[in-house]
Amino acid sequence: MNDLFGLLAPELIVTGGAAAVLLLGVSAAEPARGYTRLVALFSVFLAFCVTWYDPVEKPVELAGMRFGPLSYYVRLIALSIGMLVLLVNWHLPAPQERGEHFAMILFSLTGIMLTSLADDLVLLFLAVELVSVPNYVLVSIGRSDIRAQEAGLKYFFLGALSAGLLVYGFSFLYGASGTTVLSRMSLAEEGGFVTVGLLLAFCGLAFKVAAVPFHTYAADVYQGAAAPVTGLLGFFPKVAGFVAFIKLLLLVQPPAQVLARGWDLPSPAFVFLWMAAAATMTVGNVLGLMQSNVKRMLAYSSIAHSGYMLVALLAGPVVSGGPLRDGLSAMLFYIVIYGVMNLGAFAVLALIQVRGAPAEELDDLAGLSRREPLAALALAVCVFSLMGMPPTAGFFGKVYVFSTALATDPSMGRGPAMVALAVVGLLNSAVAAGYYLRIVAACYLREPVAEPAARPRDHGVRLGLLGCCVAVLVLGVWPEGLLKMARMPFDDLTAPAGAVTRLEQNPPLILPAIPAVNGEPLVMTHPRPPGQGQLPQPRIVSPTLAPPSSAFLIESTGTKR
Amino acid sequence: MIELQEWILTLLIAAPLAGAAAVALFGTAGAGGDRPAEGTSARGLALAFSLLTAGLAVVAVALFFQARGPTGRPVADGGEYALVLDLSWVRDTDSIRRQVDFRYHVGVDGLSLWLLALTAFITPLAVWASFSGIRDRQREYYALMLLLEAGMIGVFCARDLLLFYIFFEFTLVPLFLLIGVWGGPQRRSAAGKFFLYTFAGSMLTFAGVLYLAWLAAAQHGGVFTFDLEKLYALQLTPRQQGWLFLAFFAGFAIKVPLFPFHTWLPLAHTEAPTAGSVLLAGVLLKLGTYGFLRFSLPMLPEAARAFAPFMAVLAIIGIIYGALVAWVQDDFKRLIAYSSVSHLGFCMLGMFALNTAGLTGALLYMVNHGLSTGALFLVVGMIYERYHTRAFGRVGGLARRMPWMAFFLLFFVLSSIALPGLNGFVSEFLVLLGTFTSGRAEGGYPAGPLGAPYAILAATGIILGAVYMLAFAGKVLFGPLREPEHTPDVSGGLTADLTRREIAILTPIALACVLIGVYPGMLTASIQPAVERQVLARVFAADGYELASDSGLRNADGGLKTASPGVPTTLVSSRTEGTGRREAFSPPPSHFSLPRYGFNDSRAASAAREEARR
Repeated sequence: MNDLFGLLAPELIVTGGAAAVLLLGVSAAEPARGYTRLVALFSVFLAFCVTWYDPVEKPVELAGMRFGPLSYYVRLIALSIGMLVLLVNWHLPAPQERGEHFAMILFSLTGIMLTSLADDLVLLFLAVELVSVPNYVLVSIGRSDIRAQEAGLKYFFLGALSAGLLVYGFSFLYGASGTTVLSRMSLAEEGGFVTVGLLLAFCGLAFKVAAVPFHTYAADVYQGAAAPVTGLLGFFPKVAGFVAFIKLLLLVQPPAQVLARGWDLPSPAFVFLWMAAAATMTVGNVLGLMQSNVKRMLAYSSIAHSGYMLVALLAGPVVSGGPLRDGLSAMLFYIVIYGVMNLGAFAVLALIQVRGAPAEELDDLAGLSRREPLAALALAVCVFSLMGMPPTAGFFGKVYVFSTALATDPSMGRGPAMVALAVVGLLNSAVAAGYYLRIVAACYLREPVAEPAARPRDHGVRLGLLGCCVAVLVLGVWPEGLLKMARMPFDDLTAPAGAVTRLEQNPPLILPAIPAVNGEPLVMTHPRPPGQGQLPQPRIVSPTLAPPSSAFLIESTGTKR
Repeated sequence: MIELQEWILTLLIAAPLAGAAAVALFGTAGAGGDRPAEGTSARGLALAFSLLTAGLAVVAVALFFQARGPTGRPVADGGEYALVLDLSWVRDTDSIRRQVDFRYHVGVDGLSLWLLALTAFITPLAVWASFSGIRDRQREYYALMLLLEAGMIGVFCARDLLLFYIFFEFTLVPLFLLIGVWGGPQRRSAAGKFFLYTFAGSMLTFAGVLYLAWLAAAQHGGVFTFDLEKLYALQLTPRQQGWLFLAFFAGFAIKVPLFPFHTWLPLAHTEAPTAGSVLLAGVLLKLGTYGFLRFSLPMLPEAARAFAPFMAVLAIIGIIYGALVAWVQDDFKRLIAYSSVSHLGFCMLGMFALNTAGLTGALLYMVNHGLSTGALFLVVGMIYERYHTRAFGRVGGLARRMPWMAFFLLFFVLSSIALPGLNGFVSEFLVLLGTFTSGRAEGGYPAGPLGAPYAILAATGIILGAVYMLAFAGKVLFGPLREPEHTPDVSGGLTADLTRREIAILTPIALACVLIGVYPGMLTASIQPAVERQVLARVFAADGYELASDSGLRNADGGLKTASPGVPTTLVSSRTEGTGRREAFSPPPSHFSLPRYGFNDSRAASAAREEARR
């Protein structure tokens, strides 16, 4: 399956599904419209199966994309949680808006998968924006509520600003390295251009993951959007943002360098991310304490969890001895758990209504365990998982993230800073328990204020919620499977170079108009322009011919198996 | 039989879990009170499952005493682990660089066996005691009680630090809900305060746990593991030990609760339902002391010795302060809560005396405090159910109306203030003895960190304890009869004095108190070797002391530490002679030889009986 269509099959299936859903949605015939949701779900399921049964064992580079363990993992988690998201959204849109609603979700999913594939700054930018743009739509589509319109608008304008920052940063990176191809870029030498570019790009991505100081939109947007959509907002942009973070950080610290000297980010990047992580955790949790609206509370919790993931990101893929010292794997592990438990919590909010309106305030949930014991139990499971109580998945997420941070090699000089960060994070978990506990207390300890009731006939949400709870509990008791999968993308940093198969359709294009940097010509591949007829047979360039610096070691699977 | 030996502890954890599931799924709410419920009542199911657990615990204790180590000697005499099951849980060793090995590793030794037995013993009684008090949301209540029991049993069985921590944290959830739903008027703030206070402390402990595991990984071939055996074998620098000690201290000291961290306890105790208070005082506070005993002392010996005076000072402040505050309370439950602060101060003091007597006393103290204070909360709960008040000012002279209650209340008060002949005396005496002799390096044994001044200060706590406890009993039981209007409330099948159910709940505890009071050797015979092997040998390992194969510590280079010839042959050795299993045995030097202090008669008698039987 080493051709573009075969390799891109999951994305193509989901995009095709999105197109079909859009068409079905606008068709006049009622029976056809009824199939939109099934088509959406089926396309995601099909893409999942295709991904599952065709893991890209050997990393392949093609057309500015890179197929390997990272993309395999990200596709699997995006598609599996995507199915749960579809179920939770099952009854949300009005029948005439189902087409747009589900198509947006599918486009966003495609964006996540493309982000994991991108090996080119341009594609990376487009993919990250492909995740975000449908989310802007989803926030306000089909909502007459003025707050939803405000939320959508706010999200869009701030998102546009962040996109600007991101692309501006990317332009600096291009200027510094002379290429847009990630695997040929080397930003290891510190320089003004690189620093400025990186920090700008980090700012753009910090917006996507709702990290401080780019978190301000989160509470309003989460509150304004419908609960099923909010559940999605906690996962989709975060995955894309963090995957993009990984790609950028590995530019700064090329695998060969990590191998030789350990993970040692240059100071500006380290300081920026350290402060962002500490501030994100603290601000998220402290502001969360002050909320009485559950959606806003969970929005601040979402900010705080981004902080935990930033801790893992900072710990990085450390290779100089020691176990479990892989922050990037820890982050990939954590993000799945966070996605599931967060979606579960919002699914309960989507399921429960008070006086015909969706539950939002703490008071709305008061006495839930009397009225809807199962929904209350599900909410308690998800919230305790967010808190990190054993035996839920959130606990293992914490074990993995914070043990990684504590295990940072002290000889790198960053050890004390990382230990401090881990302690800040753990204290933050204690602070966070304050507001999570209020949710549980409202459900179990208080007498009903209003009459919370589950929506009748809303079985999609119930099924999605069940899936989330089962995942939270199963991963809490048996995390081994996901742990093993999550470490695969960064498992074999030590694998010999040359395990990468590079399929090239066009030889690298030398642009004469751009001056050479450091005496080396600028090298740039570009995706083949559309409309040139038949795809040429991919030409396999022998890995031995590739210069060692260009070998993208991260995704090589080496001599395993 | 071998199969059962391995799986009995797992069964013990699983039985209450299964019970919780059964109650939640099939239980129906009973009518409340002493009237029988129709159908499968939630409380009946819960009682059945907790009794099943207690039965399994009896089997576990029996198996423990049958178990023999590799040398053929009973593990109970050697202070070793038995009933061990070690399964791989999360294992990932495919990658060369990141190896993870979390284990499901359970087992009991002399340190945990009796706490385990205490848990299994007291939970059915607490469940039974809830029959009359809990009339609302019964299914959830009994399911949570059983969940809590599973968590507590798990803590004492765990031999893997991560497993321990999981159970340790998990106990918070059911107790939070028990206090918050079925508690008194301020239940919500009490539950929240309890949860957040303990959770905040245990987060720092969690950091310590992870750091320790990483250090273990660095020293043990890169395998990230929490297995206790590996953690005990770590070589830690004093600096690392100090930080780790503080991290563990944060979680455990709050749980105990040690003096400045006790503020959550009175509120939680006062507001909790009766059974919640019983389990909180009886077992959950012991999670903290057990944590110190199991982790802080043996893993961080140098830090433990360095911090010991500091800990002892906190403990003594707790003893005296707790007693003084208890004295001026006008609320029964609050008084008993502060008495817990005082009592657990004794427990911590004995522990940091770092000698056999002190540690054995501390462990015995945990069991005894669980029995006496648990029973006191039960009695007070029974009064509360009839009078709906906990204030001294409103009730008094109850001995006339409730003679049975008066008997039990006085009995447990006396047990609590350590009347000789009852259980409290033995442990309190051992603790003070251990503290007193701690500073002396007798018979070649290293000196502990404490000494006579500590013991003298702590002993004032005994007097204060007698003062406030007897004052409490006097006010409630004697004098003119005072009752609030429209009481006693005899709805729900209660009678003015204790019902037969309530007498049946209190009698086993009273019997246990007497039994331990007159024959503590039953417990100390297995506690003492465990304390020496599991704790003391590790604490003094750095000084070149190691455990001789038979009993007692010895100096690694000096051969057996023979004590002065004047020390009389102890009973342990006479017993080994009697059974023909004579081993190289050195009479333990004076301050390690428990049998010399007070309760050797019973052991002598039993040894003599044993010999006579042959």
